[in-house]
Amino acid sequence: MFDPRTIGPIPGENYTADTRNYPWHRPPEIETYDGTVEYVMKRMNDETTAEIVYSLMELGRPLTNIVAGLMMQGIGRGKFQIDMAILAAGPVYRYLQILADSENIKYEDGLNAKRTPITSTTLKMMMGVVDDVDPEETDPESAVEAVSEGEGGLMAPAQPTEEMTATAEEQALMLGGSDTEEEVV
Amino acid sequence: MKFEDAIEKSIKSFLKGSMPEELMKVQGNPVIYTPDYMDELETDLADMEPEAEDEVEDV
Repeated sequence: MFDPRTIGPIPGENYTADTRNYPWHRPPEIETYDGTVEYVMKRMNDETTAEIVYSLMELGRPLTNIVAGLMMQGIGRGKFQIDMAILAAGPVYRYLQILADSENIKYEDGLNAKRTPITSTTLKMMMGVVDDVDPEETDPESAVEAVSEGEGGLMAPAQPTEEMTATAEEQALMLGGSDTEEEVV
Repeated sequence: MKFEDAIEKSIKSFLKGSMPEELMKVQGNPVIYTPDYMDELETDLADMEPEAEDEVEDV
């Protein structure tokens, strides 16, 4: 029988672990509000960071998510604490807004927006990946047009056309008559 | 509350003009990055005219 206690931590294990292994276990490098904002603002001077942030804005990711990501990076690197990250999120958001406006980048503010779940389809759309799918299969309107232009469905009524209509002579032949009048004996 | 929700809530309150009053009391110094400061920064950046390409010197 499976015992969940076997995969859990051993009681008292936390007292034996070296808490200096991770940056966020150590005291933060930046302890002030202004220092935290300045750190993130300076990170935007980094070419790679700026490119990523601008690309995410252009992709339509909400600005609030981008700010959360930047803050999470700072916390992960042990630069500042979670509490300070939350407090400093406002000025960082405003700074990104200003940068986006100066670069004429349209962005989603992310405020009061319903959360859109990330699915494989949305990721494909963001990355520009297109599947090899026949568009008629996915487009219901084209499928309807294709049916209406053709002979119709299995249960659709037969549509009279000129090609299908027999001439008067053919009809007479089919009925056993002939085009020439038989001689009366 | 998730971290992202807390960030969003903090942003909303900052945009409304709220500041971390208790933190300012503890620190003892007024903070620099207030909503007014950011508004001024935006105005300053908007007023800055972009340099013409001819004026940029190659280093």
